[in-house]
Order: sequence, then structure tokens, then C-alpha cells
Amino acid sequence: MGQMQKTSKGKTKKAKKKKQEEPAPLEMSPGQKKKLKELDEFMESVLSEAGEEFLDEFKQLEGE
Amino acid sequence: MSIPKVVGLEQEYAIKLKPGDENLTAFDASNALIGCYAREIGLREPGVRMIWDYGHETPFQDIRGGENGKSTGQQIVDPEENRRINTCLPNGARLYTDHAHPEYSTPECRGALDALACDKAGERILLQALNSLNRDLPWYQASLYKNNIDHQGHSFGSHENYLIEAEAHQDFLVEHPETALRFLLPFLVSRQVLAGAGRVAGAGGPGRPYKISQRAEFMEAVFGLETMYQRPLINTREEHHADPHRFRRLHLILGDANMCEIAGFIKLGSTQLVLQMMEDGFLKEDLALADPLAAVRIIADQHDAAVELADGRRLNAAQLQQIYCRAAEDYLRAGVAETPPQAELVVQCWQEALDGLAAFKLGDDLEIEEDPGDLCGKLDWVLKLWLLNRFRAVKGLAWGASQLKVLDLQYHNIEPGQSLFYRAQEQGLVKRLLNDDRIEHFRQHPPEDTRAYFRGKCIERFPRDLFLVNWEIVGFDDGEVHRMVPLLNPLKGTKRLCQPLLERAQNAQILLALLQGEA
Repeated sequence: MGQMQKTSKGKTKKAKKKKQEEPAPLEMSPGQKKKLKELDEFMESVLSEAGEEFLDEFKQLEGE
Repeated sequence: MSIPKVVGLEQEYAIKLKPGDENLTAFDASNALIGCYAREIGLREPGVRMIWDYGHETPFQDIRGGENGKSTGQQIVDPEENRRINTCLPNGARLYTDHAHPEYSTPECRGALDALACDKAGERILLQALNSLNRDLPWYQASLYKNNIDHQGHSFGSHENYLIEAEAHQDFLVEHPETALRFLLPFLVSRQVLAGAGRVAGAGGPGRPYKISQRAEFMEAVFGLETMYQRPLINTREEHHADPHRFRRLHLILGDANMCEIAGFIKLGSTQLVLQMMEDGFLKEDLALADPLAAVRIIADQHDAAVELADGRRLNAAQLQQIYCRAAEDYLRAGVAETPPQAELVVQCWQEALDGLAAFKLGDDLEIEEDPGDLCGKLDWVLKLWLLNRFRAVKGLAWGASQLKVLDLQYHNIEPGQSLFYRAQEQGLVKRLLNDDRIEHFRQHPPEDTRAYFRGKCIERFPRDLFLVNWEIVGFDDGEVHRMVPLLNPLKGTKRLCQPLLERAQNAQILLALLQGEA
């Protein structure tokens, strides 16, 4: 939830207090919520596409 | 009085190939990328024979004297091989293979905003090359990443180069290095709090599982010549790419690759200002760190941790940066010297980021609790941390989860469809300084206020007449002789000085005659 609060730009102490009172967020518009959901889905799809061996396959040679 | 702090960036990209075929190497893929882009812009047409001239490169010569005797790269004498790994572009940049990484060196820029745009133009060039490679040579199926680590213990660089007046350079790096320790090192060591790219360290290692910098842990010396081991905070390579009696190059290898425009802009612009203030003797407060190498790691581990100064004071990175930012404000107000383009904007962005850091708070598990300054939309390490925290929260992942390292790498993927950074930017979560037209302009055209203009225009207009190019020479094949046009002053060769000649020159021969006052 802390992350969601952070997205709502400029919500500081007030937002933090709210977090303690109600775990569910927040002061976001439906449009913002949709964007964040899309972002979550994007991260999931990137991981899925990368596959389990990605880190091993990423090995680089030393550079300068 | 200080001279303009011309700046250029060198970015090594990570390259990942489709797994399974051991005959495909990163070196070959990188060369193929370069060839693809060169072909697309007409630099592989019959008759274009331009090579990169390694003759002025002395990477193993130390400004403090001495040389370690290694090869200088001048053994690459075969022009075909030279062209396979190098291409010089009409925007004044160089695209080449360095070890096994595709590397893009921006043209020389006067202003930080131009340098930033040129760096972003480099991403576009690499993306265009990548699309072409994967279309024309599909067996590679390559991906490119603008970052500095592979999570397997290897690092590659995002080097910065700044023009320094020769006497000042000699003074504060060679004869009185304590000057650099007092005034420059504290700035560079603390700069990561604004320009760090963020790195998942995972669980089980020393310190926190998320560091603010990628390169910090690879720094092992304060001053030094090396770039691939024993990496120094200040590189002492004697390779100035300009008239060494008047100009020197400060070569910095400790910075991270920035995706966020504001972070990159602050990094470049603040460094220009600090160097200029040093040259003008404007910095008075001795901020020497008790242990600069320890400090770089302490700050990378915890953005608000205090580090010890040699005089016993303890300040955190933002407090150190605040001292420099305030000095820069005073410096601009005092009108000591010609200041870099966009200097006021640099100070404004710098100060806003520092104000943001003063109110920024992380929780026990590195969750972002307070970010009233919207650093999430400005600084890479904060944006990446926020993205990772979101994913952790949604999936219930601990910091040790390997998926987080994958996402860390994918943040830097330059393909918009794969890049966490570009998706966040597309979602409007990232504040921008540049518009796409400006970036596109610098993909095609050189900056107008440095020697890059002359180099770029010669490559654009007369590619078949060029024999060789490097940072300080454009060499023409003029029939029976090669004629070299020296560019020893990075501040000359500008549009203002050269456009009239270039407009009159119908061909390279006329240009050469005009340059010699013969036409």
C-alpha cells in the first residue's frame, strides 16, 4: 500500500495517516488505478517473457 | 578564468543474445549492430572507406607519469577490421565495439541539455540498429540494455568526459591532488544520491538489499589508470583528445547509466558547474572525506547515511550536495565566468531534487513512505525502487527473489515494449526535460557549438572523401596525399565558424582549399 500512496503525487503525511486507518488505497482516480494495474501486468509479462534462465543468460563480459 | 566545460558521454550497452548457439558471440553481434546502422545511414556504400584513427589514443599513459606498457589499440591496422568495429556518424558521434559491448560516444556538447539529448539519441541509434539486426540477421535475436551490471559480478561503464583547462588540471590532479580530495571527490562520491541508477543486491549480502548505485561497489581506488579492475573514482588516463598545452580531459568512470532525463541532466550539469567553480577557485569549504572509497559504498547502501569528513564532521550525501548546490547558486550570481548553457535550470533541478531528498523517507523494508518532491518521477534509483516495491507488494516477494533482479535489468532494456523505464514514462510517471524532436534532431545532426559540428558535417557531406576520423582530426583523402584538418580546440569547428565555408564548398577539394585560404 505504501507504494500506491507514493504514486499519488504529493500525498505525504496525510496519506500516511490514511494508510494506517484503512489499508485499501486511496485517493486515485479510476484512470490512475487502471494505469497502475497495467504497469503491474506489464512487469508480469516482462518476467514471463524473460523466462527462468534469464539471469544466467544475461552474463556479460567485463567492460570498462 | 575557467573555460567552458565541454562534455561527452561514453555508454557501453549490455547485449544479450538468443541462447542456445555458442557460435554467436557478443563481439560479433556488436559488430553486426554497428554495420546495420552504418548501412542504414549510407556509410557502407561503395567508396566509403573512412576508418577510426587510433593514433592519438594512449589509454595506458598516466597523467601522473608512467605507463603500464599495455597495448594501445593501435595494433588494429587492417582497415576492414577497423571499419567492422567502428563507425563515425553524421551527428559527430562514434558507434563502435569496445571489448564485447556496443558503445556509443556522444559528440562533444557545451550544455548539459544537449549532452543529455545526445545520450538519448544514442539509445535511439542503438534501437534502430537492433531492429535492423533482428530483422536482417534473425539468428542473433539480440536485446540491449543501458545499464552497468549483469548481476554476475561484471560491470561496464558510463564514462563522462569534461574539458579542463590544462594548468588547472595539472594543479588539482597532478601537483596538488589534495585539491581534488577537498573539493571534487566529496561531490562525486555523494552525486549518486541524485544520479544513481539503483541496483537489486538481494538478500544475504552486506548491507541493504537495494543499493542506490550500480557502479559504487566496483570502485576500488581513489586515483588510477585502470578501467576494468581496480577502478578509480578519478581516472588519470593521459589522453586529452585536444591540444594538451591548453586543454585536458577529465575522464570519470564512476557514474551510472541514467534513464531518467532529470537525473542525467543534474549529473552532467552539476558536474560542469563544480568543475568550473574549481577552476575559478570559487570553492572554499574543505569537504575532504575521511575515506572516499568507504563513503561511496556507505552512500550506495543507504542514501541518507552520514559519512565522516577528514575534519571529523559527519554529513549525508544530500547535505554534501546542498553545499555544492548553494555554492553554484552563488557562483552564477557572482558572474565569475561564462557559465554553461542552462546553468540556471541545472541549479533549479538540483535544488528541487535536494529538497525532495530532505523530505524523502523509506520504511524498514525500503518501502517509500514519503516522497513529496516526486523523486519517483525524477531519479532512477527511486523510480526503480518504487516499481520493485509495487511488484513485491502485489506478489508478496521478499528482497531475495530472483525476479527482482530480472526486473532490475529490464528497467534498462532500450526496447519500449520490454522496458520498465519506458513503460513508466509512457504512463506519465516520469518527468521529462526533452521532447522527442530534440532527441531525434541529435540522432541526425551534430551539436552546433563545438568541433563536433565540423566533424559531423564532413561525414554527412563528404563521406567518400574521408580517410580517417578521430576526436581531434578529420582526415581527407585528397588524391595523392592525405590532408588532415586538426580539431585541437573543442570550442572551434562550430556552426558559426564553419557553416559559411561548408556552404561555399561544393565538394571536399573546395572545402580544403577554403580552409587553407586558397579559394
